Amino acid sequence: MNRTLSVVRLQLVNTQTFVWVPLLVLGGAFLVTMTIFALLPVEGIVGGGAQAPMWYFLVVGVQSLTLTFPFSQALSVTRREFYLGTVLTALLASAALAVTYVLGGLLEEATGGFGTGSVFFQVPGVWSDGWAVAGLVYLVLSFAFFKVGFFCAVVYKRFGTLVLTAGLIVLALLVLVALWAITRAEAWGQVAAWVADAGVLGLTLWSLPVLALLALASYGLLRRALP
Amino acid sequence: MSSVIEVQNLTKRYRETTALDDVSFSIEQDAIYGLLGRNGAGKTTAMSILTAQNFATSGQVRVFGQAPFENPAVLSRMCFVRESQKYPDDATGRHALRMARLFFPRWDEDLAQDLVEEFELPVKRRIKKLSRGQLSAVGVIIGLASRAEVTFFDEPYLGLDAVARQLFYDRLLQDYAAHPRTVVLSSHLIDEVAPLLERVLVIDRGRILLDEDTDALRGRASAVVGSSAAVEDFVAGREVIHTERLGRVTSATVLGGLSEQDRQRLREADLDVAPVSLQQLVVRLARRAEDSAPKHQELVP
Amino acid sequence: MEEGRPIFVQIAESIEASIVDGSLSEEERAPSINELAAFHRINPATAAKGVNQLVDDGVLYKRRGVGMFVADGARARLLARRTQDFAAAYVDPLLTEARRLGLGPQDVADIIAERSATTRKEPS
Repeated sequence: MNRTLSVVRLQLVNTQTFVWVPLLVLGGAFLVTMTIFALLPVEGIVGGGAQAPMWYFLVVGVQSLTLTFPFSQALSVTRREFYLGTVLTALLASAALAVTYVLGGLLEEATGGFGTGSVFFQVPGVWSDGWAVAGLVYLVLSFAFFKVGFFCAVVYKRFGTLVLTAGLIVLALLVLVALWAITRAEAWGQVAAWVADAGVLGLTLWSLPVLALLALASYGLLRRALP
Repeated sequence: MSSVIEVQNLTKRYRETTALDDVSFSIEQDAIYGLLGRNGAGKTTAMSILTAQNFATSGQVRVFGQAPFENPAVLSRMCFVRESQKYPDDATGRHALRMARLFFPRWDEDLAQDLVEEFELPVKRRIKKLSRGQLSAVGVIIGLASRAEVTFFDEPYLGLDAVARQLFYDRLLQDYAAHPRTVVLSSHLIDEVAPLLERVLVIDRGRILLDEDTDALRGRASAVVGSSAAVEDFVAGREVIHTERLGRVTSATVLGGLSEQDRQRLREADLDVAPVSLQQLVVRLARRAEDSAPKHQELVP
Repeated sequence: MEEGRPIFVQIAESIEASIVDGSLSEEERAPSINELAAFHRINPATAAKGVNQLVDDGVLYKRRGVGMFVADGARARLLARRTQDFAAAYVDPLLTEARRLGLGPQDVADIIAERSATTRKEPS
């Protein structure tokens, strides 16, 4: 049997990590939000709880490197097999989560916000181009969170806390510099126009090359990582 | 017999220390090897590099004639669960065994289940909540049930009580007899594992101190005990690796087998010969290597 | 098994001892290598070495597909060798010590006769 697919099965042996906890986080956020909606006398509130499982995917990304990778080494899995299998698992899990999200959104639409008249799934912007785009956005974002967690963990594993922290600080500084430059050039109008023009689908597609770069870099670093 | 592992001039340097220093050895097929030495001698580093979990600074490693790094054809025939093995978060013993089964082509599920019962491993408990001994049992079960052609056991008895340790040794011998394969057992408890071993590799501060047939080694040293003058007379010209004195009695450990003539001489000189255990021999050889090695740092009086 | 002496030698000796004391008779099947390894908790290759030594000495012989058997006349040959060993291990040192005490062979023989007479009288 193909050993890369076996890595997917390895990741899914404990269904808790990739299946139950994300669903539980989403379900929990949903219940809490709905309770609040029901208690509040107003309608048309937009809750942001649907993003909750993504943060958990950040943690899964970290742990799949710090804990599952060492065990995969004991099982004589190559780094390449581990990497491909793990990325495939994250994609599958993100897709499953995206499907749940879309179904929730459609159900929300059909029931008038589950009777509350407010919004948990159908966050404006994300849903403006229809359910298919919303699902894609959710999938890409979940996967991106996983990749970022994985990448940070592999940087930490290879170079230690200092380099990871320094890297994050440099990244934050770059963002600040960019923001400052935009303000200085009084270009916020143009940026807003570009964002509006690209739309949520465009922005998602723009993130793909960044993700690809992150994926390549993670693999390059993982190839020399120690369990 | 053909060798399954060939190591040539292997060196592993960390920033400050040299874990392996120009080491060369080979491991034959279908034999139980002991990789012996003190903690920190370089045993785990050597096994990690052989299984491509770690990287050599220089030198060459060949397993089944090929380089193991990122080589599924080679790696799938090996199993190395390290002493401080990490497991996926929230995984139970049952999960770990189910995962292991995916990757070892010769995995024996019945054997794994038998061992779970015999070691009384609580397979439903999360691995991070297991005791040290139960954690060792997980590694032992994976190692045995994998039936990998080259299986490494890294200090597999840590935390196991005497009964569980004996169980491991018995099951290892039993399964090895039925399914011969290459086993490398790393240990610093030499006498306990000695009867299992066909050959020993003693590693000390990154160097191979001994690479010998266990039985040849057992007959290699003897302790000659008796009055100091007679002992000194007998050991003159022989390789003495250790001497102890108590009053006028001296005990000298000499290398080299004793001939019938030697024994005759010993009887006439009224000297006793005591056997030297493998553990004593290794400790003494290590200490001698230490004494003769160039001092890295001067001791301040 | 005792440490410090080659284990295969001890394995060979233990089988020889069983043959000499009669617990393993001629043409009887000897324990297999795996049985020996499991019983003494030793490496099967070591057990095989001990058994092979006995095969070389003509004490055991192999029946293909069945196992190892005690050779015809093995006991007599072992006894003969043991007698020789007995002379080297016990009689030679005895005579060495006797010379130191100024005792001749006849004196030693007299002592032996006297001792064996007294020890025989004592119920064991």
